[in-house]
Amino acid sequence: MLTYIIRRLLMVPLLLFGVTVLIFAMLQFLSPIERSALYVRDIPRNDKAVEGIIKRYKLDRPMHEQYWFWLVGTVDASTGKRAGGILFGDFGYSRTGAEPVATLIRNRFPNTLDLTIWAVAPVILVGIWLGVQAAVHQNSIIDQAARIFSIVGTSFPTFVFGLLMLMFFYVKLGWFPPGRMSDASSIIVRSEEFHTYTTLLTFDALLNGRFDVFLDALRHMAMPILTLSYISWATFLRVTRSSMLETLRMEYITTARAKGLSEHDVIFKHAQPNAMIPVVTLAGFSVILLLGGVVITETVFNYPGIGQAAAIAAAQLDVITVLGFALFNGLILIVSNLVVDVLYAVVDPRVRLS
Amino acid sequence: MAETTPSGDNTLLRETVSAREIGRMERFLGPENYRIVMGLLKTPASIAGFILIGFFILIALAAPVIAPPVNAKDPYKIPRDGFKSEPQPMGSLWKTKQPPLPFWWESIMGTDQWTHILGTSQGQYDVFYGIIWGTRTAFRTGLMVTIATFLIGIIVGSISAYYGGWVDNVIMRVVDVFMTLPFILAALILATILTPRIGKSLYPAIIALITFGWMTYARIIRGDILSIKERDYIMAARVIGVKDSRILFRHIIPNAIFPTLVLASLAVGDVVLSFAALSFLGIGTEVGYADWGQVLSFARNWITSLDTYWYIIVWPGLALVMYVMGFNLVGDALRDVLDPRMRGKT
Amino acid sequence: MSNNNDVLLKVVDLKMHFPIYRGVFQRQVGAVHAVDGVSFDVKRGETLGLVGESGCGKSTTGRTILQLYKPTAGEVFFKGSNLVSLKSEEMRWMRRQMQMIFQDPYASLNPRMTVAEIVGEPLTVHNVATGKEIQEHVMHLLEIVGLNPSFAGRYPHEFSGGQRQRIGVARALALQPSFIICDEPISALDVSIQAQVVNLLEELQEQFNLTYLFIAHDLSMVRHISKRVAVMYLGVIMELANRDDLYLEPMHPYTQALLSAVPIPDPVADVNRKRVILEGDVPSPVNPPSGCRFRTRCPIAEKICAESRPEFREVKAGHFVACHLVS
Ligand SMILES: Nc1ncnc2c1ncn2[C@@H]1O[C@H](COP(=O)(O)OP(=O)(O)O)[C@@H](O)[C@H]1O
Ligand code: SF4
Ligand SMILES: [Mg+2]
Repeated sequence: MLTYIIRRLLMVPLLLFGVTVLIFAMLQFLSPIERSALYVRDIPRNDKAVEGIIKRYKLDRPMHEQYWFWLVGTVDASTGKRAGGILFGDFGYSRTGAEPVATLIRNRFPNTLDLTIWAVAPVILVGIWLGVQAAVHQNSIIDQAARIFSIVGTSFPTFVFGLLMLMFFYVKLGWFPPGRMSDASSIIVRSEEFHTYTTLLTFDALLNGRFDVFLDALRHMAMPILTLSYISWATFLRVTRSSMLETLRMEYITTARAKGLSEHDVIFKHAQPNAMIPVVTLAGFSVILLLGGVVITETVFNYPGIGQAAAIAAAQLDVITVLGFALFNGLILIVSNLVVDVLYAVVDPRVRLS
Repeated sequence: MAETTPSGDNTLLRETVSAREIGRMERFLGPENYRIVMGLLKTPASIAGFILIGFFILIALAAPVIAPPVNAKDPYKIPRDGFKSEPQPMGSLWKTKQPPLPFWWESIMGTDQWTHILGTSQGQYDVFYGIIWGTRTAFRTGLMVTIATFLIGIIVGSISAYYGGWVDNVIMRVVDVFMTLPFILAALILATILTPRIGKSLYPAIIALITFGWMTYARIIRGDILSIKERDYIMAARVIGVKDSRILFRHIIPNAIFPTLVLASLAVGDVVLSFAALSFLGIGTEVGYADWGQVLSFARNWITSLDTYWYIIVWPGLALVMYVMGFNLVGDALRDVLDPRMRGKT
Repeated sequence: MSNNNDVLLKVVDLKMHFPIYRGVFQRQVGAVHAVDGVSFDVKRGETLGLVGESGCGKSTTGRTILQLYKPTAGEVFFKGSNLVSLKSEEMRWMRRQMQMIFQDPYASLNPRMTVAEIVGEPLTVHNVATGKEIQEHVMHLLEIVGLNPSFAGRYPHEFSGGQRQRIGVARALALQPSFIICDEPISALDVSIQAQVVNLLEELQEQFNLTYLFIAHDLSMVRHISKRVAVMYLGVIMELANRDDLYLEPMHPYTQALLSAVPIPDPVADVNRKRVILEGDVPSPVNPPSGCRFRTRCPIAEKICAESRPEFREVKAGHFVACHLVS
């Protein structure tokens, strides 16, 4: 078990290294002049200035040197100031965000995290319960509905789903607005009394005791939450169900029943813990889905998270910003995969032993 | 060798064989693949899927007859009816010079006036035309991306599984790295970088989807090869002195490839989803190209009046969802068939 | 051991250890001692039975002889040449003379190839025949093993277990080998079919002057077909003798235990004879017991059995035993 975790941990730097190489390789499609845009705030008009930047950041050097300087940046001999270097948190300057990419991410990530938590938590809590119910009452309505729901759900492009939601709940019914919060809430949040604890709006609102702000935030997040999670709902339900069904057929369950345990105990003490093994894998997988999903979802609902910023940047060919997000996402993904692997080892004794 | 009477009696043999007379299909596919195909053909859901796919294939083939292009050399350019921004409702008449009428129009409608059957979108692009020709785009891109990712996946996965050891280790870590970037974002970056280089067309998105789409196939085929490699008939081939390359191509790959092949053919539907997502984000074809994602992305600018202009999203959206659902219905049945836990149940 | 001209195959102290890797850096932490020092001869035209419980290393012995695994140590001489030192191309050439029949007739035939392709493949890859010749050859082979040649175009899954095993036999015969390893060729078959296949193998042996190494997990299975029998336990041969010597006067405690479990037809004798019941499980081949491999279950084990490994010696003419307490 410990060796397993250590091996996984050793993989993290390796994977991150791989990701930087991959991204750097993609950068090579750009000319040095374009790559110089990494380090300037405006599209350079002055040829001299561009040349200076290319020299300064060594964009005309051989590949491996460029890669090195891309990682660690360069230190100006006279001033001793470091410029560039993704290892030092300098991802470059975002043209579309009009601020450094690192700042952009720091400002917007809490919004995305807030949204993701609200999208995932109900799925895991309720989705698993529903899945178990569907397995215990096989071929019931839940069972069939889950199947149809999952096929239809996975056939829907996120943005079409999102646009349809907007059409009904915003334009037609006026129930849920897009955006982050109403102007009234915005004034409260920016006021002196409102303390920032977590940077996550909904949690801060609760901690400040401002239920009006909390409800307002949820109202704005309702459509993005649904859009982000409808596919996860469907898949969670189905995987939990089939895994639970399989476990219920196993011998030790029959033994537990034969021992005279109540049906409730059989299901929740014996079967469910084992049925959770594939569900854990799925939880890890859905992080990947979500990270892909936020780009589209946030764009559709004009929600100020990192996905929207990435989409805007991509549409305007602001490569630097997009790359920053890619690296950041890669990091999140590696960490969450690691967590899932460890969790997996905890729930599955077979992994622990091998 | 001398002629002798064999010890086993042939009457017995004939009886047993005739007891299990099998069809040409099963003979050709082999027992495992046959089970997969039959499983698909017996499930109502997958039959519905096949019907949907067949329907779209017909539309794609008949596109020039259903919606004749203005310029036969450039049929993917959606004809415009003027340049006004505001979408026109369904059934509004064609005001400027209309494209050629389809042969069936007059006999059904009794008029030679070409109509915007499903309305026009922003910039007076005809939605109906976009949907019909967009079907071809969907199949073209789907097939290109699928075939390429499949081939890359097969080659990489085979090399990895066949050589094993450190080669396998390195390749699988590379696969991990590729999978660490979220698919849509990775494709977005590459397409963004490529677009200024090769121009706005289908290709930046296609290349991007290929670059980040082959890993699943590599993983699956590798797993299947590793399991096939341990079968006795591989050992038997080595005993009779078959060379390594022949073992790989004659014995291992033909037995390992089928599940991956079926999975890949169903991915033709998924490609369209990713493609549409990229289009929606502004990466992809130039404005007015007959591509469902492109047509749909017009809706972005009309969100607050979608109750009036619902047809600019509902129709292309419906085409897209039905198309993908056709593949998903078959795919869902396939998962049941391929899942070893379901073996023996059908 | 006799070393005259009629020895076809000579195995000398053959070892096959499969390494086990563990830990962060996948270091080798141990090995499965599947075959751990095995020596025997197979004489031209004879059938040597190799018997032992499942997992004792019989298949591994057979596969290592054929160089399907690279042996950890030891020598294998076939017609005088040492297979272990052959280059892979030379070994490929040598395979024409030594073949194998597999245990599982369902797993050992490629499901994507027709019977004709399966049986004809040895001819194709060794370029001994082409096109039409191969066809004729295949038909002939099918007839020899008792299959209707008109089924040549069918796939393996169209046949029953016994018929499939015949296809496997035809494949093994294609190159006219002189030596065939039969790895439990009848264990997976219905009892009613077993006799047919054994008869077929015996007839073929006579007809083509074949030499067999016949593997089985049960002494009763090889009694009929073998001239001599070797008994294996946990990677080591415990006793090797002429069939009648071994069955009537077993010397090794393990062989005695195995034989006492075989029911004999005479009910009176069956009741009266002494039964040796083996206690405990077969130890793991990863950490085999020191000294004699059998000592953890041997009813007569003594101190010396744990200290040194008993030599595999010829106690009587042609009767080899590995036991400290047999003289
Ligand atoms: N390729 C292999 N890798 C590791 N261990 C093996 C391998 N093949 C066989 N073994 C192990 O070697 C031992 C002997 O196996 P085998 O020769 O198949 O026994 P038998 O044929 O007598 O039943 C078993 O413990 C088995 O698990
Ligand atoms: S050597 Fe000892 S333990 Fe081994 S068989 Fe003989 S008596 Fe038994
Ligand atoms: Mg065996």
